[in-house]
Amino acid sequence: MFNALFKRFTSQKPSKNTAKKRLQFSLIYDKLEVNDTTLTDLQNDIVAVISKYFEIDKDALELKVKRDDDVSALVFNTPILQVKRKRAS
Amino acid sequence: MEGKVIVVTSGKGGVGKTTATASIGAALALEGKRVAIVDMDIGLRNLDVVMGLENRIVFNIVDVVLGKCKISQAAIRDRRIENLFLIPASQSDNKDVLSPAGVERVANDLRKEFDYVIMDSPAGIERGFQNAIVGANEAIVICTPDVSSVRDADRVIGILYSRSLTPKLVVNRIEPSRVERGEMLSYEDVLEVLSIELLGLVPMDEHVLISSNTGTPLVLQNDSKAGHAFRRIARRLNGEADLPIEIPSHRSSMWKKISKTFGFK
Ligand SMILES: Nc1ncnc2c1ncn2[C@@H]1O[C@H](COP(=O)(O)OP(=O)(O)O)[C@@H](O)[C@H]1O
Ligand SMILES: [Mg+2]
Repeated sequence: MFNALFKRFTSQKPSKNTAKKRLQFSLIYDKLEVNDTTLTDLQNDIVAVISKYFEIDKDALELKVKRDDDVSALVFNTPILQVKRKRAS
Repeated sequence: MEGKVIVVTSGKGGVGKTTATASIGAALALEGKRVAIVDMDIGLRNLDVVMGLENRIVFNIVDVVLGKCKISQAAIRDRRIENLFLIPASQSDNKDVLSPAGVERVANDLRKEFDYVIMDSPAGIERGFQNAIVGANEAIVICTPDVSSVRDADRVIGILYSRSLTPKLVVNRIEPSRVERGEMLSYEDVLEVLSIELLGLVPMDEHVLISSNTGTPLVLQNDSKAGHAFRRIARRLNGEADLPIEIPSHRSSMWKKISKTFGFK
């Protein structure tokens, strides 16, 4: 109790708060760890789908898992060369 | 009726798996159950010394799995606690000597002869760990309130789920005064991160080292807080699921009550 008061005056954050934040983040991070084959397979699938609609620069595209403090995202970046003309089916 | 095979695991080493296995096993035997505790840490056996039975080893679990002896020949009967048996690990073998199929078969045989079979798992998530969980119907995950132990526990929990095991958690080596000072993760913090069912909370207790020094069961030491916690864990496992979980505290219960009334934390 007195310790808590003391802490308040010295305004030092308890180290366990840091521990908890770091843990929560690392657990999310760990689960997002995708292996290279998964990523390559995913990239090929995405390219196949997008290529139905756009002509894309396959050499310039990038696919990665981006991790920030709060959010993690799958980022797919590709230059579009041309919109494909819809074929009449 | 067939017994249960419960694996005690953690991912990280040194968090209290062997202590927990010996204590929960002994406590279940004190509850009147027939218990076998099995050391699955092949090549690094320890359960025997913690239990004080190292001088009586003749056969081990590898001998049983390889068919070199019967279960009854490898199971060492504890002379202090009735219905408590230890099946030691082998010290010389490599952990690859066991096949998962062989371990599973023996686990099923053990279930027919004991009410509870408690498997002490090695650290890690490799072959030895896989062998320890292959025959289990239930799992207990042990962790301590520190970042790396909780992270490893999370990994192990994921693997157990993928094997259709729903583990329960024991948080060990809790230091109430440090939790209060904000220096140590509280059990609530750990639970929030891992989100699995809590089985028990075990305080840091100097009796643990003393009892392993002398090879006497922790749960027989009446003044041991950790021993007391393990006995309650055993009762919760053994049908008393509603038995309240005690939160380790360094203050007397009087203090706890008073501070509650005044609304301090
Ligand atoms: N609640 C506790 N209080 C004090 N010491 C403990 C406690 N639990 C375990 N220990 C100590 O921690 C060390 C590691 O425990 P052990 O059960 O061998 O861990 P593991 O089997 O997970 O490697 C041992 O020296 C043991 O005496
Ligand atoms: Mg051990």
